[in-house]
Amino acid sequence: MTHAAGGSVRPDRPPRRPRTLGIAAAVIAFSLFAAREVGFDPSTFWEVWSNPLWEKFWPIPWDWVTDGSNVMGPLIETFQIATISTILGCSLALPVSFAMSSLTTPNRPTYLVSRAVMNVVRAVPDLFWAKLMVTAVGIGAFAGSWALTIFSLAVMVKLFSETVDGADPGPLEAARAAGGRHTPSVRTGMLPTVFPDYVAHALYVFELNIRASIVLGLVGAGGIGRVIEAQRQFFRFDRILGMLVIIFVVVFMIEQASVALRKRLV
Amino acid sequence: MTATTQRPTPPRGARERRSALAVVLVVAMVWSLSGLEVTLDRLLGAPGDAWAILRQMVPPAFARVYERGAVGKVFESVYIAWIGTVIGAVLSLPLAFMAAHNVAPVWIRVPIRQFFNAIRAVPELILAVILIPITGLGPWAGTLAIGIHSIGTLGKWATESIESIDSGPIEAVESTGGRWVSSMRWAVFPQVMSTISSYWLFRFEINVRASAVLGMIGAGGVGSELVSHLVFRDFPAASAVLVFTIAVVLTIDTASAAVRRRIIRGGVGRPDEPSRSGEALADLTGIRL
Repeated sequence: MTHAAGGSVRPDRPPRRPRTLGIAAAVIAFSLFAAREVGFDPSTFWEVWSNPLWEKFWPIPWDWVTDGSNVMGPLIETFQIATISTILGCSLALPVSFAMSSLTTPNRPTYLVSRAVMNVVRAVPDLFWAKLMVTAVGIGAFAGSWALTIFSLAVMVKLFSETVDGADPGPLEAARAAGGRHTPSVRTGMLPTVFPDYVAHALYVFELNIRASIVLGLVGAGGIGRVIEAQRQFFRFDRILGMLVIIFVVVFMIEQASVALRKRLV
Repeated sequence: MTATTQRPTPPRGARERRSALAVVLVVAMVWSLSGLEVTLDRLLGAPGDAWAILRQMVPPAFARVYERGAVGKVFESVYIAWIGTVIGAVLSLPLAFMAAHNVAPVWIRVPIRQFFNAIRAVPELILAVILIPITGLGPWAGTLAIGIHSIGTLGKWATESIESIDSGPIEAVESTGGRWVSSMRWAVFPQVMSTISSYWLFRFEINVRASAVLGMIGAGGVGSELVSHLVFRDFPAASAVLVFTIAVVLTIDTASAAVRRRIIRGGVGRPDEPSRSGEALADLTGIRL
């Protein structure tokens, strides 16, 4: 330290490594290329405000929005889809999650197959499932319920099998040491330990489903999205805005209740 | 004490709680099924219908779909997700500094937090529904929808990581007379940037799925391909599009997870660490050996 006595000289900057610069250049180059591909147009950010279409969003027609059959009916259908899918998906997820954890899996092939299959199921976006189900069983809430059931299963097994992986293996070992067969050992040695987490995860999946079920109707799978899609085709954005206000008030209340319940559980 | 062979009694209240839960579940199921036009007929027919479609999906018509440019559409979804993430990252970063309680005053942080919450409450698809008439159909509408939605989540996560930093460096900068901007740049920024950039990558993974979906309503990307094949009941083509999408999604998840691990743990491996290639394989297949 040659400057130690004076002490007023800046220390040297750490050197920039060429590899860091290379990575940064590659990221920027890719971003520029991708921006061109998606038609990046910064003028949108200031021109968007002067678009004449905004007039179509105002004023909100409250009498149409609050008329029960227009919004509340489909919204209730939305929550019914979310509820049944959460219950079905999370029930199916219980045995599948146990199969997917190395602690509780009955045998090696079950473990490998269930993991690989659920990994692929999770890679398919939720509305792709909805469109597939609409094609298979017809337009409507029935298709949406199937799609969200698959989606709930995929999310739930991911969350819950990781909980089981991290759980205390002691009680399970005790049950096995006492000569328990596989299923009763898991039921008495593992399930009670992880059940509060299971319920908390299920409530979280319910919140996700409430959000997902709102947009299901955009691909024909029932619920409030069907009304949004119909009004969009008539360019009635004032009605859409009104619907969104109602949706978010109701969704916010449900989520707060669910979050409060989850906090008590864990 | 005599050796007991008697079972211990179950804890009190457990049975009551269990039956209460069962009642709630049954009521919820009956209530939701009542509104969904479910008939026994449809319920029994559904697996058969799904199976019929699944059978027509094999083998996938890869060559035909490839010639139509479906792979290009999958990449368009990736570009939409990337630029959306970049927009979200660039706009959320300065806002996050104004929303963290340890570095921002209350009058600015409360409105910005509410702004994050409000954005997160609107799904990308709804944003795209509103944006499409303004920007026109195409990838730019989807990019904007994803970019705006990402501000909400990225802002929230960045705020939380700024709030969990060590306050020592901030005090050090302030004690040398540094202004707010310098303390952000030299005390906060270096502490949070690795975490925040790994959040950006994580959000990018989510956005790839979201942008694939956005195509279904005409906002660019692979979704429109899937919809048009399914509408014409061209199932081999639809399954080829699905396979392309799944392959790209899994590849990106794997690559991104590997980079995130590298960012968080640093370049020097510890001997007790599982191998990186092993972890990447686990990400790709879902199987941890």
